[in-house]
Amino acid sequence: MIHIVTSENRHLYRQEMEQAYRLRHRVFVDEMKWTELAKDDGREIDQFDDEHAVHMLYIDHGVVQGYQRMLPSTRPHLLSHVLPQLCEDERPSGSHIWEWTRYCVEPAYRERGRTLSPVANALLSGIVEWGLDRGISTIIIEMNPLWLLRLVQLHFRTIPLGLPQRIGDQDVLAVTATFDRRTLARLQEMRGNQQRVLAEPEPRIRRFAR
Amino acid sequence: MSRKVFDQTLEFIRNLDRTRDAADICSQMIQAARRFGAEYLLAGTIPVPGENRRQQISNILLDQWPPEWTQRYFAHGYIFRDPAIHAVATSTSPFLWTELEPAYRRSPEARRIMEEAGEFSLRDGFTVPLVTLEGEVAGFSLAGEHLELSPSERGMLTLMATYALGRAILLRETPSRPVASLSPRECEALQWAAEGKSEWEIGERMGISEHGVDKRMRSARLKLGTTSRTHAVAEAIRQGLIS
Repeated sequence: MIHIVTSENRHLYRQEMEQAYRLRHRVFVDEMKWTELAKDDGREIDQFDDEHAVHMLYIDHGVVQGYQRMLPSTRPHLLSHVLPQLCEDERPSGSHIWEWTRYCVEPAYRERGRTLSPVANALLSGIVEWGLDRGISTIIIEMNPLWLLRLVQLHFRTIPLGLPQRIGDQDVLAVTATFDRRTLARLQEMRGNQQRVLAEPEPRIRRFAR
Repeated sequence: MSRKVFDQTLEFIRNLDRTRDAADICSQMIQAARRFGAEYLLAGTIPVPGENRRQQISNILLDQWPPEWTQRYFAHGYIFRDPAIHAVATSTSPFLWTELEPAYRRSPEARRIMEEAGEFSLRDGFTVPLVTLEGEVAGFSLAGEHLELSPSERGMLTLMATYALGRAILLRETPSRPVASLSPRECEALQWAAEGKSEWEIGERMGISEHGVDKRMRSARLKLGTTSRTHAVAEAIRQGLIS
């Protein structure tokens, strides 16, 4: 199941967020060699992991197997502050647009070959369920153009924000991807059921005011 | 410069929404790529080793390739020895065929395939590797006598190829027209074509002239909304009209 962690409930997910930061470090620093993100303590945390970030964790029996982070486009995010060169036109911004970053899956739970694994499907479905609940319809993505075809096939309506560019040894492209019920239906069809992937919110912890 | 190239890319993507079949998509793509020297295109998923000739052909989604070359290519089983196909399966970035040369220089077989392609006007090519939702490796090739591409134009063709293939897959999944109704004679001609027979051989077997075969193939192609003989065979196999 996908658990959504925000500044409101993160005290309930201390241990899982710890796992998430370590997973990020293993995937992005150790495996993908984004060495500028390396941290001595093995927890990959950057300037965008603030109180506005929304973390999505795929948790199975207490183990974080997949992770992704959503950042509001109305505040500093990667496209605005790290990779502005990927956007030719005016930068997309608004309460209905969020940026999707740090998508990663623990190697053991990845696709065999290159098909969409259950964890990958749940993470994508998580974005769509979360978005449809909140009037969020569009995500900004920076990625290798190789993956664009998959998004098109999943019924994300994608529009490039610029031409692909070489960054390090990778081609990177920025797009906006808009989704709707059809996108969700497609993901459900692929995994063979229509159950929600998002965990029900934890019961609210009563706040004691003085 | 790159601004203009980007605008052209967006316009191409918008226009794709109006295409109704694979033939439409091919002609839009060639029209856009011609100024770089590309006259031909071929796109589809890459067969896994061991697939027979017919399965290999049914993987083709967009076909505007010299037909004589396609015929030769599949008849000789070149696909599993073609350096460009090998690179599609292993590379995450688009490439010009000339960039592969150092890797296959020492393989006489691979060199021969590339040289022969040149004789069919496929001297220079640009290939975009892609991954489908089902996890299949796909490739989109544009080729001609000589290609000239700036870095931003490479990016443009990469995006165009991706969206064109996406459109072709979408159109295949949601057929805008019912399954084509081919006449028994058209099916028969296609069936023989699937076996790799020439027009002349098909004529012999069906007891009609080469011209008669040509006529039936042309009407089958039209009914299937395809651009070539190979593509018609691929589509007919997919629709279950021939086996």
